[in-house]
Amino acid sequence: MSLLSKGTDAGAVWVDDRLGSSNFVRRSLNKVFPDHWSFMLGEIALFTFIILLLTGTYLSFFYTPSLTEVVYDGSYVPLKGVTMSQAYASTLDISFDVRGGLIMRQIHHWAALLFMASIVVHLMRVYFTGAFRKPRELNWIIGVALLVLGIAEGFAGYSLPDDLLSGTGARIAYSIALSIPVVGTWTAFLVFGGEYPGVAILDRLYSAHILLLPGLILGLITFHMMMIWYQKHTQFAGPGRTEDNVVGSRLFPTYAAKAGGFFMLVFAVLAALGGLAQINPIWLYGPYDASQVSAGSQPDWYVGFLDGSTRLMPNWEIAGFGYTVPLNVMIPTVVLPGILFTLLALYPFLEARFTGDRDYHNLLDRPRDVPVRTAIGAMSITFYLVLMIAGGNDVIASVFHLDIISMSWVLRVSLFVLPPVAYFVTKRACLALQRSDDELVHHGIESGTIRRLPNGEFVEETVPLPAVYRIALTGVESDRPQLEGATAHGEEGKPKGPGYGDQHVVEGAPERVPGFFRAKRRSGPSDTSAPRPEAAMPELERSGKPAPPEQ
Amino acid sequence: MSTPGNTGGQQPSPPTGQTSAQAAGSIRDRLSSPRTSDQASGPGDTRTSDLHENGFQQTDSAAALQGHGRGESQYDSSSPPVATEELAGRKHPLGPEDAKAAERKVAALFLLSFLGVVGFVATFFLVPHEYTSSTRYLYTPLLGTFMALALGGVGAGAVLWAKLLMVDEEAVQERHPFGSDKDERGATAEALKKGLEETGIARRSLLRNTVLLGAGSLALLPVPFLFGLGPYQHKERVLATTAWKKGVRLIRQNGTPVRLGDLSIGSIESVFPDVEHGTKIADSPTLLIRMRPEELQVVEGREDWSIDGHIAYSSVCTHLGCPVKLYEQQTHHLFCPCHQSTFAANDGCKVVFGPAARPLPQLAISLDDEGYFVAQGDYSEAVGPSYWERDT
Ligand code: HEM
Ligand code: FES
Repeated sequence: MSLLSKGTDAGAVWVDDRLGSSNFVRRSLNKVFPDHWSFMLGEIALFTFIILLLTGTYLSFFYTPSLTEVVYDGSYVPLKGVTMSQAYASTLDISFDVRGGLIMRQIHHWAALLFMASIVVHLMRVYFTGAFRKPRELNWIIGVALLVLGIAEGFAGYSLPDDLLSGTGARIAYSIALSIPVVGTWTAFLVFGGEYPGVAILDRLYSAHILLLPGLILGLITFHMMMIWYQKHTQFAGPGRTEDNVVGSRLFPTYAAKAGGFFMLVFAVLAALGGLAQINPIWLYGPYDASQVSAGSQPDWYVGFLDGSTRLMPNWEIAGFGYTVPLNVMIPTVVLPGILFTLLALYPFLEARFTGDRDYHNLLDRPRDVPVRTAIGAMSITFYLVLMIAGGNDVIASVFHLDIISMSWVLRVSLFVLPPVAYFVTKRACLALQRSDDELVHHGIESGTIRRLPNGEFVEETVPLPAVYRIALTGVESDRPQLEGATAHGEEGKPKGPGYGDQHVVEGAPERVPGFFRAKRRSGPSDTSAPRPEAAMPELERSGKPAPPEQ
Repeated sequence: MSTPGNTGGQQPSPPTGQTSAQAAGSIRDRLSSPRTSDQASGPGDTRTSDLHENGFQQTDSAAALQGHGRGESQYDSSSPPVATEELAGRKHPLGPEDAKAAERKVAALFLLSFLGVVGFVATFFLVPHEYTSSTRYLYTPLLGTFMALALGGVGAGAVLWAKLLMVDEEAVQERHPFGSDKDERGATAEALKKGLEETGIARRSLLRNTVLLGAGSLALLPVPFLFGLGPYQHKERVLATTAWKKGVRLIRQNGTPVRLGDLSIGSIESVFPDVEHGTKIADSPTLLIRMRPEELQVVEGREDWSIDGHIAYSSVCTHLGCPVKLYEQQTHHLFCPCHQSTFAANDGCKVVFGPAARPLPQLAISLDDEGYFVAQGDYSEAVGPSYWERDT
């Protein structure tokens, strides 16, 4: 033990003599990170990216990005003697002849799927909790950029093995580029080095996949992290948590141990998947051949929504004056994602503009407290899901023996009908949840004790909601009748409001956000349809708050 | 501070502005179970020494840090956290025996991890992995399992260690304002202005204009490189042409030519132009279909493009270029697996369903002297997906 601490001392002195870094290091070790399960989603994205870099580097030692034809002579018997590109042959070698190569390939692919999934879910948590509001709009935009780059990176990787599926994907990408008016043909030729398949695409996809895109992603992630570090993480409302502080555990040791351990756990899950669950068995698809295709071929899930929009689009095309505009391709694959990602990137500014809310926000919203934002989110997710389902419409149709034509029509109608329904339902649900919260805050918890009044009336006794819960539900510590325990914190403890220092609106400023977006809380009489308070309690308990006091 | 047991004066008082944090402690204290607040006492607490023995010098370092932090706060806009277990009103939740048990659990996980590494290394080098060996189905799953144990053991161990044996702390840190104050901003703007003035750029308009021109045009330097990435072949119309020419035979993938009578009624064959690398050229794959002549509704102007119920269409989908290959002989439908575009092969390959906008182009065929199918010429329109310069 003492050896360890001596060693630590000596090491710290050695470094500090040269860098004078003690103060910085100590401040870093002491940095406070708030704790909530949903804050791990971004971490999963970070960790899977690291795993992608590790496994990808190993793969790059063996992969050859070349379309030169070779006759396969590896150990996979069924393809012996088949003519194929070096790219495909080297991928077969990784799968069958390199020790540990297959598990690396499979971990890499699973990690890519998890990477994209965690980014998307992380985005949803940032959205629904309002973590994108000032001062974090820049980080939101970087996030959207990471999402788009992630899709591109995944697509490039998917195309490298030059198997039947990846070649088909590349051809579709080429055709999408062709569909752009005026510059489309030119763009496609520049990217592919000529008419499809061109001479250069594999080399270019390779350098994009291992150098250009990962470099950009790494740079943006670094920026993302620096900004979180500097601005400090947001937190949910709770006792002692204000707009002006962070409550949680310090980076060292608790947070570091948990996060480091969590990284290992994520890696362990991916290792298990990579070892036990087959993915992208390219040897079954065969080498790419422009005249072959396998039925029911699916892209990786994160491209699925574009596949779906392509399938649902009516077959419109405009031709005239010697030119053609293929709307059937351009709208679902260029215009639609362009609009979606632009709206996504601009959302923080659109919302701020709409609500007039230009304050700093470090406390997160509970989704139900901002019904309109939550409903817009639900609407968007529904739209996205219909597209995803449409991307697999042939598979679904054949599994459930449905007629693909009527299925497409159902999906086309759903694409426009279901999102508004989701909006409406979600908004109602948020308001109902608010009402049940209100009930708890104003009337307390049902105690189960029924009392008979002298006049014969029966009433149920309620217990006031403990302060921890009240604060978590309302985000307000001091403007309501205080529990005995909370009185200690007096005037100074009152949250200063979202502002900082002298530049911003301060205490007591009226709620600036119009009622349309949030705060529709109705404090009406009890509504029997509202969920019973007991039902809400266990959830609060799970979130790590202390148990309520025995009264 | 907030905990009844350690309100004594030993603790440095927190910087002002932390009062709400204090309050947090007190709410927590009152709400948390009696056992916790009973035991969360001062330095005399038995488990504090327990902590020291185990090397978790939480209390000391926390106090020390507070001292430091306060002294240095003038250099440090983000004041150090007001630590830790005193505020939270809790020590780590386990008693000495429980802590021992937890320690054993964590240690067991670390051991498991070691075993995983051993298993991984052994499998990696000792288990035969070649496709021809009998253990090939086991190799990768074993690697994965051992790797998961190795990584998961350390991971779960670390997480448990933090959860069970480290202080469940509730540290509070002030946020610092992001914007600078007015003086700061003013001074920065001033420095910028001064610097600009020193360059004299406002006065020397000749320099200003030429530097804008010279440095600005640097942005154009990369553009030629962009053009160098590929040919711009609008004039040559490469997209509108394929490898088919007058008299070129229709061959199968294995290179054999197709003769009248080779196909039975209702069957389909992928054919390629009999030129060099003909089976590899991406825009030329074609479908030769045979149906009963009376089933074929010949498109006007194409009366002599087919022979005795044999008809040829491009197999490059007019939607996004996937190979159209699936033929349903009852309905004469050709089907693209990529987005389900469906074409009526007996009716000029018109689109009956799906996102494709145009029929599959038809290749005019005839027979040569030896009775083999040949093309009468190239396709009369561009095959495959549409593009801007397409003019039919
Ligand atoms: C490569 C992909 C990404 C990685 C590795 C990543 C990683 C992280 C991590 C580790 C955090 C802190 C923990 C957390 O709050 O979950 C975080 C926070 C954040 N991320 Fe991401 N993220 C990625 C993509 C995105 C995307 C797509 C968005 C939104 C469009 C986004 C927006 C944000 C914002 C606004 C924060 C600050 C949240 C807060 O302080 O409450 N990120 N990110
Ligand atoms: S490529 Fe044939 S339907 Fe899309």
